[in-house]
Amino acid sequence: MSFDGNDFYAALIHELKNSLGLLSMSIERIPLQGTAEHDTPVDEARLLCQGVIDRLNQALLIYKAANGAIHPMIDAASPHDLVHELAGQTLSLARGRLQVETAVADEVPALWFFDRDLVDMALINAVHNALRYAQATIRIEAAMRDGCLALTVRDDSSGYPDHVLESVAAGAPIRASGTGLGLQFGRMIAQSHDNLGRRGELRLSNDGGAVFELLLP
Amino acid sequence: MSLNPAAAAETFIDYAALRALVVDDSPGMRSALRLTLSNFGITKIQMAANAAEAIFQIKNRPCDFILCDFNLGEGRDGQQLLEELRHSHLISLETVFMMVTAESFYEKVVATAELAPDDYMIKPFSAEVLRSRLEGILLRKRAFAQVYRHFEAQELDQAIAGCDVLMRSKPKYAVDAMRFKGELLVAAGRFDEAEALYQQVISMRAIPWARLGLARAMHMQQKDEAAETELRDVLEHAPEMVSAYDLLSDVCIAQKNAAGAQAALEQGVAISAKTVRRQQKLGEVAHANGDLDTARNAFTQAVEKGRHSIFVTPADYGNLCRVQIEQGDLKAVAETLKKNKGTLQASPEGQLVMAVTQGMAHTRGGNLQEAAKALDEAASLRASGTRGDAQLMLDLAGTCMAHGRNEEADAIVGEVARNAHDSDALLAKAKRIYDEAGRTDAGSGVLSAATGDVRKLNNEGVVLAQRGDFRGAIDKLATACREAPFNPRIIMNTVWVILKYIEQAGMDEAMIATARSYLAEAERQAPGHARLAGLRLQLKEIETRFGIQRKSAA
Repeated sequence: MSFDGNDFYAALIHELKNSLGLLSMSIERIPLQGTAEHDTPVDEARLLCQGVIDRLNQALLIYKAANGAIHPMIDAASPHDLVHELAGQTLSLARGRLQVETAVADEVPALWFFDRDLVDMALINAVHNALRYAQATIRIEAAMRDGCLALTVRDDSSGYPDHVLESVAAGAPIRASGTGLGLQFGRMIAQSHDNLGRRGELRLSNDGGAVFELLLP
Repeated sequence: MSLNPAAAAETFIDYAALRALVVDDSPGMRSALRLTLSNFGITKIQMAANAAEAIFQIKNRPCDFILCDFNLGEGRDGQQLLEELRHSHLISLETVFMMVTAESFYEKVVATAELAPDDYMIKPFSAEVLRSRLEGILLRKRAFAQVYRHFEAQELDQAIAGCDVLMRSKPKYAVDAMRFKGELLVAAGRFDEAEALYQQVISMRAIPWARLGLARAMHMQQKDEAAETELRDVLEHAPEMVSAYDLLSDVCIAQKNAAGAQAALEQGVAISAKTVRRQQKLGEVAHANGDLDTARNAFTQAVEKGRHSIFVTPADYGNLCRVQIEQGDLKAVAETLKKNKGTLQASPEGQLVMAVTQGMAHTRGGNLQEAAKALDEAASLRASGTRGDAQLMLDLAGTCMAHGRNEEADAIVGEVARNAHDSDALLAKAKRIYDEAGRTDAGSGVLSAATGDVRKLNNEGVVLAQRGDFRGAIDKLATACREAPFNPRIIMNTVWVILKYIEQAGMDEAMIATARSYLAEAERQAPGHARLAGLRLQLKEIETRFGIQRKSAA
């Protein structure tokens, strides 16, 4: 079997991601002892591991996206299920460290059309961010905004720095490593969704904490 | 959390009762997955390391939930396992099949295959995510349980009505219900309604599967030009949609665009080379187009990829060898036969393929004594009732003629022609064999006698039926069936007149039993033929009307 350079890197990323998956399962099996000097580093390792896995998934997605464009596979999906699934995931990542709340507005329809896997990836990124900075609570919400489905991850941190808000609002590339990459990625996913000439958007704001919002037409 | 006890019961899932099967080639992954499942209360867990083990386990003990890795090492992959399980009815629509893949976007191609799993899990995933996805699917299947039962009992009308109810009463499943209803309408032969339904989905959102469904419904109504436009546009937006290439090739064939059909299949194969049936079709189309290199490659792939697949039959080895012979590569023929000797000798059909192929190859290589031996073997297999596909039988006839065994050859051609009295391609090939042997006149005699008899009986039967003399029509067509036992067209006509007769004259137990067995035979010979669904439905209606319950094979 012969690889060209890029395929080789993709295979390598793959391999790393799968090994990390096994590592993450091993970490999950370490029992907590109720002491901060034991539990805190275990917890940090676990979160970091999960975060790296998600980042590698993004790397693979960007590699597969020919010429930098993502092709979503749009199908009907339930925003209600999405919110609850994500909340469950957040809860298990937070391991009791934080409270997770959900809210689905009454006007949100039973079904909406989007690529569930992609949207999931974008939101889990925002969740990782929130897990790092939130004080006590993360809120996951679905509502209707400007005719779009708005999916929101909200925390009670001190919010996004001004330069990040400005870059996202201006549609400029977002600097700052880590957070910046995840946001860039969220914006790519939002914009890959379009319907009847309307494009998806990523909106960031500070409202009692950081607010990450995907608008899907 | 809901406090309403009725609602809670409706969404309660008893994981302790759920029978699960984990299929993964890595022992480490298998036990990790087992641990994940036991995390949320699944305790009845079987394990399999590959597709063969999975099939064995499922045959022994049915299961409700299969969690299968896409990549199973050597041999069949997860998608091939799924196709085989569904195709052989080893799992029902109520069984949950979830595919585990290493990444989302490469194997997503498979998601657009005709037979998709219920969901995908991208490795690595948490127990939490798996549980919530599984729960969603189990609840959906619970909502569809009645519809699935009607479908599996071939009660298409009731299944369709069930979808209508779900569309109204369960908004969350409305699109799923529309998707399944579309497939049911196509199966029931109600293509115009299917077309309207898919248009309705598209008006909400132009989802690729709805556009593919629309194209299929149009193709079934001979609106092939519109179907082609739709498909080309879908593929421009979703080029990874493999099943669209398969349909496009059918649409091209219907428009007599053989080159277009081959191009479409080649594109499909370039994306997903593993599907045996796509390779078989590409081989046949390329062979008909005279593109022997492509045909050889496709038939080789079909045989290689499908080494343990139920979709590979002795005819595939025959097809591969035929191309190799036409290319004059007799060494390759010998190798193919040697390599697959065990498989071929396991069935009389396989033995016939071997005998005919050896006969052809030895004749071509000038080894007439060996060729004669092979022909004798073929003759004795034929005498004991073994038959091959029409191509193989014509090859046999051609070889017989090359050895001066004209009587044998004429009998074989007559049989093929009777069974394919309306296939221009096969009759043309038969005629070519006679032309090449310098027996053009003899050939037209054999062919016109064979097709003439059957056509005459068939036409007379149809005319009688049109006049309302169904009893007379049955006699004519039943005779035609005896003359041409492998002619699905005639068999379907016979079923049709028998059902008409019963409608007119009342129940006749013997007749309806005949109709049933003819229909089963037609299904075996021409699976997926457009007329079958309608006939099945008519039979069902008559059985219901006269209160016949099919005896279950208890």
